[in-house]
This record gives sequence, C-alpha cells and structure tokens, in this order.
Amino acid sequence: MSDENSTAVADATSDERLAYRGVFQRLLVRPEIGAIIGAIAIWIFFWAVSVPFGTAGGASNILDLSATLGIMAVAVSMLMIGGEFDLSSGAATGALGIATILLVKDTGALGGAGLNMSIAIPLSLALALFIGWFNGTMVERTSLPSFIVTLGTFFILKGAKLGISKLVVDQIQVGRIDEGAGYSFWRKIFASEWQRNDHQFGSRDFFYTLGIVGGFALLVLAVHEYNYARRKVLNNAGAALTAVAFAGGIAGIVILHATDNTGGNYLGGIVIAVSTLVGLFGFGWWRFEPVAQRGNLHIDQQVSKSFGLGLGLVALGAISAVTLDSASSSDFFLLITEQGLRAMLFVGLTSAGITFMIIGVRQASTTNPLTKSTGLAVLATTIAAIAFLVRSESASPKFRGAAFSLLLVGALLALSWAVTSSCFEERRFAHTAADNTGRLLALVGSLMVLGGAVVRLLFTTAAEIERGISPAKFSVRIVWFLSVAGVATWVLGRTKFGSWTFAVGGNKDAARQVGVPAARTKTQLFMIVSSAAWLVGLLLAFRLNTLQSGTGDGLEFEYIIAAVVGGTMLTGGYGSAFGGAIGAVIMAISKAGIPFSGWNSDWRFVFLGGILLLAVIANNFIRDKAEASR
Amino acid sequence: MKKFKWLAIVMAFGLLASACGDSGSSNDNAADTSTTAAATTAAPVDQTQGGDLTFYMITHSDDGPFWSVVKRGAEAAASNLGVKLVWQGSNNDPEKQVQDIEAAVSAGASGIAASLPSPDALVPPLQAAVAAGIPVITLNSGVNDYETIGALTHVGQTEIIAGEGAGKRFNDAGAKVLLCGTQEQSNVGLEERCKGAENTFNGKVITQFMGGDADQASQQATINATLAADPSIDAFLGTGPVIAMSGLRAAQDLGRTLAIGGFDITPEIIDAIEAGDVSFTVDQQQYLQGYMPVLLLYLNVTNQNTLGGGLPILTGPGFVTPDNAAAVKALVAAGTR
Repeated sequence: MSDENSTAVADATSDERLAYRGVFQRLLVRPEIGAIIGAIAIWIFFWAVSVPFGTAGGASNILDLSATLGIMAVAVSMLMIGGEFDLSSGAATGALGIATILLVKDTGALGGAGLNMSIAIPLSLALALFIGWFNGTMVERTSLPSFIVTLGTFFILKGAKLGISKLVVDQIQVGRIDEGAGYSFWRKIFASEWQRNDHQFGSRDFFYTLGIVGGFALLVLAVHEYNYARRKVLNNAGAALTAVAFAGGIAGIVILHATDNTGGNYLGGIVIAVSTLVGLFGFGWWRFEPVAQRGNLHIDQQVSKSFGLGLGLVALGAISAVTLDSASSSDFFLLITEQGLRAMLFVGLTSAGITFMIIGVRQASTTNPLTKSTGLAVLATTIAAIAFLVRSESASPKFRGAAFSLLLVGALLALSWAVTSSCFEERRFAHTAADNTGRLLALVGSLMVLGGAVVRLLFTTAAEIERGISPAKFSVRIVWFLSVAGVATWVLGRTKFGSWTFAVGGNKDAARQVGVPAARTKTQLFMIVSSAAWLVGLLLAFRLNTLQSGTGDGLEFEYIIAAVVGGTMLTGGYGSAFGGAIGAVIMAISKAGIPFSGWNSDWRFVFLGGILLLAVIANNFIRDKAEASR
Repeated sequence: MKKFKWLAIVMAFGLLASACGDSGSSNDNAADTSTTAAATTAAPVDQTQGGDLTFYMITHSDDGPFWSVVKRGAEAAASNLGVKLVWQGSNNDPEKQVQDIEAAVSAGASGIAASLPSPDALVPPLQAAVAAGIPVITLNSGVNDYETIGALTHVGQTEIIAGEGAGKRFNDAGAKVLLCGTQEQSNVGLEERCKGAENTFNGKVITQFMGGDADQASQQATINATLAADPSIDAFLGTGPVIAMSGLRAAQDLGRTLAIGGFDITPEIIDAIEAGDVSFTVDQQQYLQGYMPVLLLYLNVTNQNTLGGGLPILTGPGFVTPDNAAAVKALVAAGTR
C-alpha cells in the first residue's frame, strides 16, 4: 500500500507540471473563485446593512438585475477570452429588440412589416448573426483592433436605431409589441413571471432546511473524499460511528426546532456540534488511511508571522467594536455614522485577520499535520470568540441569531478539520475512484443547496402571508440567464470550440500554426455575442412593450466590467464564462444594495467604483496566492 | 507609384490652400455682414418686408420627439407669417451651436432664437449677435442668462416652477412621502424639477438618482429597491416620461399603489394616464417654444414690439391628466403636443 503511494508520488514529482494538486489548490486557481468569494462578501455586507435586502424581494431584485446583464457578460467573457472586444454589444441589444418590434408591428399608420412573431423572431436572429458575422469578418479582413471596428458598428447601430425608428414611426420610441400576431405564445417564452405570493407551500421550510443542511453536509464529505487517502479495506467500526453521529445530528436539529428558549437552543447546538465532530471523525476512520507521521509542533517564522498578524487584526477589530459607542447614530464623517464606522472596522479588520490566519494554516500544512491542526484549532477558537462577541455586542436578531450561528458553524468546521487532518493521511496522488466519489458528492450537495434556496425563494407560507410580506416575482429571464451561463461554461470547458477559444485568445498565430481555424473561431465568437444581444433585446422588448431608441447604448462597458470582475483577463486567453455570470451578480448586488440601504444616490458611483475595485483586487490576490503555491 | 505620390502632395496643397482661403474669406464676410446688419437695424423699419425676413432657430435639438414638436411650432409660425426659417439642431454639441450662431450672424439673420444648454459657451456669441443689432430670443433653456445677453425675452418653462406645480398636484392627491427619481446625475434641470416639488409639497421629498433611460430594467430594479427599503413612500415623481413608467412598473411589482407623476410626453405615458395608472405628466408645451419666438421676433423686427416686460414668458407647466389625456393623445399624433 505504502509502496504504491510512494511510487505514485515519485512519478508525479518527476514532472512538476503533472504534480498532483490538492482540492483547495484546484479550487483556488479557478478564474471565478475570487469573484464567488467577493459576491458572497458583498452580499453579506448589504445583508448586514439593510433589512429588506435579505428577503425574497431583495433576491428577486438582484436576480432581475443580473439576468440581462449576465447573459451579455457571459457572451462577452467568451469573446474576451478569445482576445477580442465588442463595443457594439450594448447598442445591439436595443437595435435587435427594436428590429423585432418593427418586423412585428402592424402596417397601419404607424408603419412596420406586420409579420407573425414566429417569422419575425427568427428573422431578427438572422439579423443578429449577420451583425456578429460582419464584426468578425471586418476584424479578420482588416486586421484592425476589434476596439475600432466594433466602435464603428456601435455608431452605425446607434444611428440606425434613431434613424429607422424616426423614419418609420416618427418617434424615438418604438412600441406595442403586445399588439403583434403571436404575442401570447412568445410572451410565455420571453416574459412569463412567477408570483411568489400566489404559491404557498406548507412544508417549504422542511425542504429548505433539508436542502441546505444536507447539501452542506455532502459538500463537506466531498472535500474529505478529495483530500484524504483512501483505505484499502474499509473499517466498519467507523461506519457505525458515523451512523450513530448522524442520528445524533438529526436529534440535535429536532431539539433546535422543538425548543424556543435559549437553553434549548444551546443544548441542540451542542448536540449538533458533538455529532458533527464525531461523525466526521467516524467518516474518516471508516474510509481513510490513518496518518503515518504526525510530527511535532514546529512553528516556523512564516507561520508565526501570519498568525501574529491575523490575531492582532482580529483583536484590533474586537477592540474597536467594544470601545466605539454602539448606540450612537450621529454622523461621524460625511455619510458614515459612528455605528456604521464601528461595523466597517469590525468586519474589515476581523475578516482580514481571518484571511491571514488561513494563509498561516496553509503555510503550516507544509511542515507537518500536527502543526496544521494546531493552527486550525487556533482559527476555530478565534472564529468562535468572534461569534460570541457579535452576539454580545449587537442588538438586532439578525446578528444575534443568523450571524452568530453561521460563525459557530464556521468554527465547528475548522475544528473538525483540525481533528481529521491530524488523524488521517492527506492524499498526494491522483485517485480516479476517490475523485469520482468526491465529484458525485459535491454535485449532489450543490444541487441540494441550490434546491433548498430555490424552494425558499419560489414559495411562501401562510405565516408569511399573514405577516403581510410584500410580493416578489421571478421572471423566466433568470432561467435564460442560468441556461446561457451553463451552456457557455460547458462549451468553454468541454468542447473543441472552447479549447480553440482559449488558444486564439492566448496566441493567435501559434494557435493557427497548430491547426486552429483562428479566423472562423473569432467570427463565431462575435456571432455568439450578437445572438446574446438578440436574446436580451427580445427579453427587454417583451418586458417593456416599448423600447427607447437609446436602449442599451453605453452598456457594453458594463458587460466588459462584469467579465473582468468575474476573472476574465482584458488581454485574452484566460477567464471563464461562469465568472462573467458571477461578475454580473456582483454588479447587481452592488447596484441593488445601495438603494436597499437607503444611501444617498449622489454617492452611488463612489460605492460602485470602490466595490468593483475591491472585487478585482481580491480576485487578483487570491489568484496570485494560488498560483504561487502551485 | 511615384506619380500618385506627387498627385497626392499636389492635392494636399490644394486642399490646404482652399481651406485657408475659405476661412479667410468667411472672416471677411463676417466683418462685412455685421456692419451691414448694424446698418439695417439702425435704418427705418420700412426697409424690411415680411417675405425677406430670415429667422434662425439654433438649438441643442437632437431631433427627438420633443424637439420635432418645437420645430413644427416654429415652422407653423414661419409659414403663417410668411417669413423664412432656418432650423439648426446641434444634438447637444455646444461647439456646433456656437458655429451655427456665428454663421447666422455672418449670413445676416433678421433674428435669432437660440436655446442655452451651456451658457458659458453660448453667451458670448449671442452677445456678439445682439451687438451686431440682431434681435435675439432664448428658448427652452437660458432663463438665467437671457438678460445678460440682452435678449428680448426668454420663452420656456422654468424647471423650478414646473416642479412646484407637480408638488401641488401631489398635495391634492393626499400624498405624504414623495420619491423624486432622476434619470441623469448632475443635470441641473432635473434636480430643479425635484427641488421645485420640494418647495410646494407638504410632506417629505426624497430625491434619488435611479439609473439612465438606456437601461430601463436596471432603473426599474433600483426604484423597486428604494421603495422596498422605505414602506412610507406613497408617491413617485419621475423627472422624465421613461423613468415615470419605470416607477409605475416597480410599484406594480411590489403591489403598492402610489400616486405617480412624470415630466414630458410619450405615447406610452399618455396611455398610462388614460388608463388611470399614472396621475399626470407635466407638459412644457414645447410647440409654443417654437411658435412664440418666431412670432415675437417678427413683431419686434416689423413693429418694434416686445412682450413679457423683461420677464421670461412661461410655456409651462401644462398638465396632462386623465381628463384631457384623450384629447392630448390626438394632438400628439398630429405632432403639435
């Protein structure tokens, strides 16, 4: 067994490019990981600041803002990975929407071709494909930068929108798509809506809890499966222990739900915590190789520096939270109240401190398992301390309840990781069967979390209606957005066309010399962007009925920004379509969060700029760290 | 190849020379005409006949639905009076507007009507026109500067007064908290509309920027978020017709019934007013902003009349409400509202 391991290690290290990379490293080098962390951080920030932001209404608002921006950001990400820009993409959304309306409109006094939508919609798609083909062909034939060529297309489209709509209807807005033939059918496809308050589901909260808790548990198990070396022969005692702990966990959840007092909550929490620790240990004991060499505690200079810095920052954050007046809401500086400053200092300093401690744990993991678990234990204690500080220092139930328990869950996970990593052998070689199990668990886990969230968002309960919750609706636009993001991610990651895209964006001449049809690939990428613009144009037309001739002008920069925030490089050859989608979500969260928080809109762009800058810096920081440790 | 090179050089020189010549001669013309123009105004009135008069209307028009109505008004006045009208829109380019004004002075305009979106650039050339003896009237924007220029009067709507009218309407509707949403940041006119509403509205006014008209989906979501964050808001004033419709959709999504008002006219908002979803829109009756300057210039040149007593002549606020929406709709279709 151990012989087999060592040969595998020897083989892998003989060529550094083929060296095995652990699960965290593989996660961290994904281009979109920084953006995902950024999106979660910004969401938590606004959740803390505003009450309605965290409700289903807030989620509906964010998803609504993300949908059209996201469809374009995904397509633009693909094009940017292929090394080109399309400045006409914003104007094209409006142009193609207007073109469709004009094709559909009655040939009465107001002009238009009066076609049935089943003919008009494919026709406008053909127009979209032509615009993309034109952009791509012009870029390829003239060898001019796509910046210049598509700037030309942008002006042409912008002018054509105004000129044609004035010529045909003598107005700068073109409208009444709802009077076209075939409207009721196509409306279902492009603009049907789900009214949350019309859909009650009594056992919603059960499925929600099941999805979230079960899904996260599976994700945690997936990480274990990826991270530890499998035993040759399974240890059944471990399986039994896991089963007992699982039952304990269920009991804990039941206690938590059945009791309403603080004492009961603590009892439930303790039962859950102990079961989790025992269960994860049992899971490891059942499946994984015990650790060979635990080693002695050895703290080198690097590790002590990271931990010292981390603990210092957390302490500073705690001091500022305790000393600044919690009740004061007087203006401290410009638009920040003293209370706001306190929250910002606390959250900023402690999260920076935690980040340094995590870096310290990574550094410690290179020495020996014992040092690593000690670091993890310190981290867990710190997070738990922060949780209790939050509970004692804040007044709102949001922090005393949700934030407190989430932090405790984080501490618990760190602690259980400390236990398992000091008990079991880390896997340092590829193992297809284990990877497949891990992937399956991760997939099912993610689907369960997603399903839980979707159930929660789509359905309301009688109790909520009674409290008078304001209506929230979810449009089919979101489904389009998710489908486009999914298909684009699959195309980029799993198809020949996807590989060609990365190749032409990285080095076009080299790609051409190894047989990649560079010109065709780029032209097809431009056509993908203009088809996305067509989709967005239709979504807008069916939503608004009437489109302004200026619709979409100038938004191409938002698409590019979303792609960059999502981790796509401006220079091409690196990035992901999924990242573009996340970038759009980040922009949507920042845009929606400002009015939800009731901040003065004069400062809107200051906030927006600051948030975007932070997101990109965080993204780069994480990528650099991950690449450096590769 | 060599031949072509020579040809190119010769042509370039030719162009250069002609360009120099042009600019030189036009300068000369300017000097000439300004003196002659001064001479004509100094001379007795009977020298001018209606048919020989040429009035210039030089605006920042983008030839959108708003300005095309101004243009129709000006053309109607010109044909009624039997004078010539030269319409020049700069599409918000002050540089071009300055050039147009200078060209009109050179061409010996009988009168100039101009809008003043950027006073710093446009006041000096108009002062030069007045100094050259050409009567000037400002229209649409320029209410703060027409006196500096020495213009006869200003024809337009002051945004503050229009906003004040809107504020009174919300008082009548019994609203308590008014959200005033703008679609452009740092546009003085839009800010003044909200400020005017603040002057007359009895309750609280919250002024917020909601995102531009080019991204209506985002505009609607921003209004939605602002309304969700503050349940006490019971009225919405959009400083344009598009943002007013976004406000209506946002309120409908949240299941809230707000009193909604807007500014300016589109077929869409008139339909919404007719249906009773929007309470009113403020109309600045821009047809008058085209018609009146031509009429006033004509009366000044032919009969030395002035109107307004040195004060601006206000064309608004007129209101489109459910009562007159149907009538206004017909007039919009005819292109005069």
